[in-house]
Amino acid sequence: MSGAAKFKNNVKISERHGASEWATERVALLILMPLGVWLASTAFTLAGASYETVMAWFANGLNAVLLGLTAVVFFGFASLAWKVIIEDYIHKPGTKAALIVLLNLICLVLAAASVFFITRLALGSAPLPAGFGA
Amino acid sequence: MTHPNSSSGDARDDHTGRFVVQPNGHRTPLSPHMEVWRWHVTMTASILFRATIIAASVGMVILTGWLAALAFGPDVYGCVLDCAASPLGLIVGFGLTVVLFSFILNGGRHLTNDTGAGLTLKSATLLSNIAVWAPVPLAVLFWVVLFATGRVSL
Repeated sequence: MSGAAKFKNNVKISERHGASEWATERVALLILMPLGVWLASTAFTLAGASYETVMAWFANGLNAVLLGLTAVVFFGFASLAWKVIIEDYIHKPGTKAALIVLLNLICLVLAAASVFFITRLALGSAPLPAGFGA
Repeated sequence: MTHPNSSSGDARDDHTGRFVVQPNGHRTPLSPHMEVWRWHVTMTASILFRATIIAASVGMVILTGWLAALAFGPDVYGCVLDCAASPLGLIVGFGLTVVLFSFILNGGRHLTNDTGAGLTLKSATLLSNIAVWAPVPLAVLFWVVLFATGRVSL
């Protein structure tokens, strides 16, 4: 990363990808604000609810989409937020890089698993492990 | 970073108390020092947000577990429901609501400050106080209503 520093509105443009990561983290947090309020109301509705009640809740497509959105945006936000935490406290380059790869892997798996389960619940699929070997 | 309250550069406008009267009568800013500083609620809000994100991540893993239990059918979900109704489950549940309200309020504070708004001493302190303290009464209210409406019982 050499060459003269570039400026925009008298502010030095990030030489790497830090600025876009920072902005993405804010946008994700902004999206999570209303979703968080919705999640609180959902937690209130579904606290202690029976299996049938919860399945009826998932049958509503809007609920399923909003919950899937919450999971995906949150785990995306978490990967960026945890990256900053790791970068703050882990200074050994190899360990840092390995931890960030592991972090992204965990976030990806959790987001994918959430979407997988939510999709099955929204479609009213038979309980697992139906069709998955058992 | 410029201090929002000291832009005038006049020590008499300062309300932070971070000025000292020198023996010659001059008022000068207190030198930053490793051990000479005062704790402020904005610091609590800042470090709590990081703790909240960590706790919220744990909460979202639990939510994913809840989704998995549902996807595995009524029997597995019944076990999760029993766990949630146990004393430990209720304590964890209460903690997660505190974390959720903390995430919303502290996230709101962070986003507000990120735009450059709310950074005067007074408003930063107010936003931080709300972010630090309000989640607890909100979570208590949440659970009082849960118990009062009979959605959850001991």
